Amino acid sequence: MRAPTILICEDEPSLRELMRISLRSDYAFAEAADAAEAIALVDTVRPDVVLLDVMMPGGSGLSVLEHVRGNPELRDTLVVVISAFAADRDHRAAHDAGANSFLKKPFDPEELESLVEQLLASRN
Amino acid sequence: MPLLRRVVVGSAALAVIVAGTFGVLLVAMSDLRSSTNAQARSKDVSTATLNVERVVNELDVSLRGFVISGSPRFLASWQQARTELPSAAAQLERLVAPQPEEKRKAIDLATMTRDYIQDYGAPLIAIYRLRPEAARSPVATREGLFRIDAIRKQLANLLAGENDLATAREASAKHEATRAVGIGVAELVVTAALLVLFGLFLAHGVVRPVRTVAAGASRVAAGDLSTRLPEQGAPELQELTEAFNSMAQSLEHGQRELEAQNEQLRQSERMKSELVSIVSHELRTPLASILGYSSLLLKRSFGKEDTRRYIETIHTQGGRLVSLVEEFLDVERVEAGRIELKEEPIDLRPLLEEEAQLISAEAPRHQVEVGVEPVSLIVLGDADRLAQVYANLLANAVKYSPDGGLIEVSGTIEGDVARVQVRDEGVGIAAEHQPRIFTKFFRGEAREGGFAGTGLGLAVSREIIEAHGGRIGFRSTPGTGSAFWFELPLLPNDKAPKPAPARVA
Repeated sequence: MRAPTILICEDEPSLRELMRISLRSDYAFAEAADAAEAIALVDTVRPDVVLLDVMMPGGSGLSVLEHVRGNPELRDTLVVVISAFAADRDHRAAHDAGANSFLKKPFDPEELESLVEQLLASRN
Repeated sequence: MPLLRRVVVGSAALAVIVAGTFGVLLVAMSDLRSSTNAQARSKDVSTATLNVERVVNELDVSLRGFVISGSPRFLASWQQARTELPSAAAQLERLVAPQPEEKRKAIDLATMTRDYIQDYGAPLIAIYRLRPEAARSPVATREGLFRIDAIRKQLANLLAGENDLATAREASAKHEATRAVGIGVAELVVTAALLVLFGLFLAHGVVRPVRTVAAGASRVAAGDLSTRLPEQGAPELQELTEAFNSMAQSLEHGQRELEAQNEQLRQSERMKSELVSIVSHELRTPLASILGYSSLLLKRSFGKEDTRRYIETIHTQGGRLVSLVEEFLDVERVEAGRIELKEEPIDLRPLLEEEAQLISAEAPRHQVEVGVEPVSLIVLGDADRLAQVYANLLANAVKYSPDGGLIEVSGTIEGDVARVQVRDEGVGIAAEHQPRIFTKFFRGEAREGGFAGTGLGLAVSREIIEAHGGRIGFRSTPGTGSAFWFELPLLPNDKAPKPAPARVA
């Protein structure tokens, strides 16, 4: 069985690296620094999990989420929205757009790790 | 005409008309009375005539009695009647004096009776005393009868004339009475009609406009402050409606002001919540790095090189937090006017190039071109602060052209000012957001577009440029890009022989 692929969408490089090393397990990683890049990678890489920042140049992370949920072939893709906008309405907006889970910044690296593991396990 | 004058004039006119008609009525009544008086006088004339006739009869009877009998009783009677005659004749003459015809008849009558006494009665008595037979002769008797007959005819004539007059006067009195009643009725009708007209005028001129104003006041009371009344009619009513309209207008104005203030309050509420959201976001991103890396470093072990890199990241992000705090403090300082500017000659040329090089290194997808006039652009000011403004414009140009592209910087001399412009090929600014672009914390659709930031850069930049006596502005087309510029007064050459080198942050 191939290793699950994680797509990290985050414009801040230090946070992309933080997410990568938080996950530790032998996942395959792809990284995008803006929304357009993320959409392109979603289509080509077909990731199992997308870690999605909301505030990115060139478009909101939620537009990436809409793209994923709008494509039936990507229906199994798990999306975790990780946002610095942590108000209830931001949480709700992510949920309404079809996010599987929501983490607010700053996030606990171990919480991220266990969340991704749980999501993958529940899907299988 | 003023309403007051109209009412006064209307009342006065009504009074004059009523008085006039009653005057006519009085004249008619006085005519009636004089007719009645004339009728009464006719009776007096008849009485006086009959009185004269009685005296004449007395004269005739007593004269004939004396001539036949010679009795002194008849002579006394004759003498008595003779003394009564002048006053009776005079009374008749007086009564008929106004009627020339009757007067003439009365004078004739008086002459005839006087002649009867003097030319016939008195001589006959004298003859009787001498020769009684002669006095009783048929000739003398016939003469007396003839004269008395003439006098009686004259009396009858007078009475008949007076009767005709009395009949005519009675007819005239009847006519006058009918006329007076007619005039009285007509006056009643006219007066009643005038009163009704005056009432209608009052209703039309006063009551109706007052009702209109009352209805307007009710509408205003019910909340319709746009109510206005037509300013027309008498001056007093115009004054009233004008006062009403200006009252409604000031009420409406007050309400609008309140609404505007309310809107401002709501806007500042929105801005506050926007600010909380922005601060939260801007602080959370570096904090996520700091807390995330430090937590991993505490719980896991990494290679020496990785460990060092992570600590460097924590350090860098800590620095970012400090600059954010500084940026917020900057706004406070600038707003409170506590910004301290150095005043030294600066050449903008090297500053423009150095700052552009720095941004080029951080924006690999952008091509930064700097075109500056080959002469010094020397202005008086604070090099650090001007570099901050320029760096902010460059950073915005990079941030808002996420697909890369050309960023064109120009430094030119225009008259007595130095003009610096930074043009990008980015997303541009929607027309509806352009007026508020320099308002602090205003970010238009930047957040929705995924552009991080505090909404403070341009607000602070404007404060700095204006504190230097310059101007800042932009033009932008959505989808094509923006060009931000600022202008600063050039320092005259004789005052700046040797510019200090610009410092770059």
